[in-house]
Amino acid sequence: MNDTKSPPLQEEKVGVYVCHCGTNIAKVVDVEEVAKWAEGNPNVAISREYKFMCSSLGQELIEQDIKEQGLTKIVVASCSPHMHEGTFRTATENGGLNPFMFEMANIREHDSWTTDNEEAATLKAKALVNAAIERVVHHQPLEQIPVEINPNTLIVGGGIAGITAALELADGGNHVYLVERQPSIGGHMAQLDKTFPTLDCSACILTPKMVDVDHHPNITLMTWSEVEKLDGYIGNFEVTVRKRARYVNEEHCTGCGICIEKCPFKVIDNEFEAGLGERKVIYRPFPQAVPKYPVIDKENCVYFQKGKCKACEKFCPTEPNSIDFEQQDQILKLQVGNIILATGYELFDVKRIPQYGYGQLENVFTSLEFERMVNAAGPTEGKIVLRDKETAPQSVAIVHCVGSRDENYHKYCSKVCCMYSLKFAHLVHERLPDATVYNCYIDMRTPGKGYEEFYDRLLKEGTNFIRGKVAEVTDSARIPEEEGKIIVQVEDTLIGRQRRVPVDMVILSPAMEAQPDSQEVSQLFKMGCDFEGFFIERHPKLDPIATMTDGIYIAGACQGPKDVPDTVSQGAAAASRVASLISRGTVMMEPIRASIDADGCSGCKICNNMCPYNAIEFLEEEEVSRVITALCQGCGTCVAACPSGVITGAHFTNDQLYSQIEGLLWDIQSLEPVPAGKEE
Amino acid sequence: MASKPSFSDEISNLLYAAKGSPINACIQCGSCSGTCPVADYMDQTPRRLIGMINANLKDEVLDCNTYWFCASCYHCTVRCPADIDIAGVMYAVKRYSIWNKTYSDDLVGPNFSEAWVKMIIRSGRSYEPILAPTYMFQLGTKEFFQEALNASKMVMKGKIPVLPPRIKRLDNFKKMIRRIIPLGGSS
Amino acid sequence: MKKYAYYPGCSLEKIASSYHKSTIETTKIFDIDMQELDDWNCCGATTYFHVDGILAHTLVARNLALAEKEGLDMVAPCSACYKNAYFTNSLFKKDPDLAEHINFALEEDDLQFQGDINVFHLLEVFANDIGPEKLKEKVTNPLKGLKIAPYYGCQVVRPRKNGEEVENPQYFEELIRATGAESSYFPERLRCCGGSLIMTSRVPALNLVRILLESAEKNGADVIATACPMCQVNLECYQNAVNEEFGTSFHLPILYFTQLFGIALGISPKKLGFGIEMVSAKPIFKKLLAKEAN
Repeated sequence: MNDTKSPPLQEEKVGVYVCHCGTNIAKVVDVEEVAKWAEGNPNVAISREYKFMCSSLGQELIEQDIKEQGLTKIVVASCSPHMHEGTFRTATENGGLNPFMFEMANIREHDSWTTDNEEAATLKAKALVNAAIERVVHHQPLEQIPVEINPNTLIVGGGIAGITAALELADGGNHVYLVERQPSIGGHMAQLDKTFPTLDCSACILTPKMVDVDHHPNITLMTWSEVEKLDGYIGNFEVTVRKRARYVNEEHCTGCGICIEKCPFKVIDNEFEAGLGERKVIYRPFPQAVPKYPVIDKENCVYFQKGKCKACEKFCPTEPNSIDFEQQDQILKLQVGNIILATGYELFDVKRIPQYGYGQLENVFTSLEFERMVNAAGPTEGKIVLRDKETAPQSVAIVHCVGSRDENYHKYCSKVCCMYSLKFAHLVHERLPDATVYNCYIDMRTPGKGYEEFYDRLLKEGTNFIRGKVAEVTDSARIPEEEGKIIVQVEDTLIGRQRRVPVDMVILSPAMEAQPDSQEVSQLFKMGCDFEGFFIERHPKLDPIATMTDGIYIAGACQGPKDVPDTVSQGAAAASRVASLISRGTVMMEPIRASIDADGCSGCKICNNMCPYNAIEFLEEEEVSRVITALCQGCGTCVAACPSGVITGAHFTNDQLYSQIEGLLWDIQSLEPVPAGKEE
Repeated sequence: MASKPSFSDEISNLLYAAKGSPINACIQCGSCSGTCPVADYMDQTPRRLIGMINANLKDEVLDCNTYWFCASCYHCTVRCPADIDIAGVMYAVKRYSIWNKTYSDDLVGPNFSEAWVKMIIRSGRSYEPILAPTYMFQLGTKEFFQEALNASKMVMKGKIPVLPPRIKRLDNFKKMIRRIIPLGGSS
Repeated sequence: MKKYAYYPGCSLEKIASSYHKSTIETTKIFDIDMQELDDWNCCGATTYFHVDGILAHTLVARNLALAEKEGLDMVAPCSACYKNAYFTNSLFKKDPDLAEHINFALEEDDLQFQGDINVFHLLEVFANDIGPEKLKEKVTNPLKGLKIAPYYGCQVVRPRKNGEEVENPQYFEELIRATGAESSYFPERLRCCGGSLIMTSRVPALNLVRILLESAEKNGADVIATACPMCQVNLECYQNAVNEEFGTSFHLPILYFTQLFGIALGISPKKLGFGIEMVSAKPIFKKLLAKEAN
């Protein structure tokens, strides 16, 4: 217990306002009693209770009282500061005081919403109000810190979300760095054939945007690149990007593609072709790739592994040669003001559900494999065929909810699979008019614009809908009709019977998952992801594109499973948020930061390593540490760690905190410490 | 004031120490019935039974033969996406049915279970010949003779015990049982 | 020398005596001592749970307490006994209420259970303690040319929930291959045999047996290897009933995996409990001898 608290410098006149919050607080806490009781505190000049403090009238009450009664500090006992701290600070400011001469006591989330016991709740409310009063008398005026916003923006991820955000910002006249991990932008949307519900050709609607990105003077495109380090704070980020070596010189390469043609070696393309097709070792992921420069797959390149070949170099027609086996990774440092993460999704690994037969039974496909199959530019030129690449199936079963809505894998619904499963059914009908198609689903989820109509279309096209989650996919035939087929065993719940449906081909619709490294990425960008790996938004309803970290925004499937229209909307929304910050030019930051009293600092440097934001520097000449105010996030770690006690957390000083604690314990009879080892 | 538990509450209470979600978490997906190896023989599939329990259709549920046909293979439990112990639900309904004596007479299961339990209480070990009367006489004539022939072949191969085995500390065993369930005159 | 508390279960006395004999003989070779529990009682199989859950768990717990008294982990060769023991053990540790009931009852037999032991199935002992490599080393009479269908059944694998292990285990196949035999493709290897339904609901259970026999035979199996007495009895002793009911003509030998492993390890058939088969195992021996002669 610190007995050497400094007394308040002047006679305080605290205004206390206890809010009913309708019945939220008043039902359990006797607010009149609390307000009356607070009057007893010698520092309190006026104490009121009011139905809704956050209303305009409530706020005006504060402003009026400050002006008329000459109040010096304000306490409002109501809801959580998350809700209305801003509101009441503004009211305090409008009344003529510094906004930090205000303290909020949470008697709702911390009190009335935790218990039904009226007596206990009222007692706790008194303690909380008292604590606030005792604390607020020690508050000092603080000023917000202006921070300039660098107009450059970094967008991580070149799928449709990243592309949309990039074009929105760039068209507005702002400069954008677009960093993409793959050799080309386009993301998963580039792999698709048709998009639901309009059945637009995916490449046809995507590639014009990709071309726009390629040619845009305001977009610096960095593909085959990854962000390695992030320093700084909103408006002033320094990003370290590793631009990996393509072994192709981008300045000389014309994109003619002769190197690709002449490369003698092929490997299975596990990324773009989902393992269904092949690509050369020097390759472009797909013909419309942006940028057009190919990349050499070092691990499979005969030159890098054994020192032979070099066919690409031999046949490259440019002068000087565009193939550069000596090329190194480049490390680039970018200065940006804001960052948008649009890193997209991966598909659930269906091998985790062995009873669906993927990998054991030949003709079981994943959705991405099937997309590549039906794509006219894909490995089967758009023909729907079995693994032998020749035979067309006469019957196809499409399995919904593989890994979604399942406590054993992912509890959530992946939102898009019902729609694309219907799309697959349509494509089969279109290309194999005599084939029988079965869709096995639990619920048909078609909430978007034109989606239910699409379902209706499929019903009329003669798709067989079986409402039942598929139990297993097997080749164990029990009757002659099942011989040589894949049998889908499912309960047709609408008729209450178990059915064994023999088909030639099975397509699984797997869950949409977060990228496997999303946790590392979220740590790199100093924000968080949830247990499923999706990035956490600032507010699920009202702010799905911002994060808890100022300056970092999210868009697209990395925030949660969604379809293309929602992704585009989020990309545009994130861009708009960034654009508004850029146009403001300056942002005001909270002054709740740490500061070090240089006179008392012993130079031990313990705080330097403790700071999670690298916000403390050591001044060699003076041999003292100093807080870089703009980087400091006010976490308080250094304040606690300093052995000399010379670091102060603004708005969380020792005086303020000890007073708050004493205020809470107002009704403790004795201040004798409890002897150790004795149970009370 | 305590309210009378609904049928679905009663069944939930009988799911003693079962892991997993409560029965009302069922989304009626049909995995259980799709997996069940004997679903074709049941008059209501497992999914339907759970739906009926949730709807408190007590009489209809107890009239079904579904749970007496359950082989306890646990395949449904393992695959259920709502993490419900469906095999456990089958056990719970069996228990409810046996203690309330609401089963139909042409079902072998309940009589078999009762005979088994009495057999264990009597000697602490199982002895197949005691169980034979519970199911043999429900078979048709042809099947009865088939089974009798089968059984005698098994006896000749030395597969069936002649004398019923007992455990040594049988008295303690019976006292143990009585500490859980007070049994009247079954020893 | 590894020691386990051996819980044979009621079936291994008579109807599955060959399982008991072959278990003791084969584990001896790997220096594993199966010490039979003194005065063990019936586990109640599935049927006791039809009457009362706590009581059923208590009866099982008596055996667990006996094993704990010896300070040994328990091994059960019968899948039903195994499942009961394993889950009573794990529930005991998680549910203090159940634990209280159990110990209250066990007092009458001067026993208490603390939950300090583990429970394993005999197949697990072969898969983990012994493993395919060690098994292969000790094989003196490789079962070349024999196609064995590995029948896991239900309760060795379920009701645990861990994806691959439950829906696609491979350890039985690996063990079979270690004996020199071929592990035949058996897609219904995790399907239920019907268990006690063979008595209470005859036709559905016979259908299940038929599905299993058909699947094994179609893929060329010479024999089905089982790991549970109930499975073995259903598949073997009721093959005739299946043939009568469905008009099929199965003659597939059904043996315990320990019997087959025992032959590969050079133990005499008599010691492994051969001689009481309802479906003759002679075709297997003929095949093995023929291959040897070649």
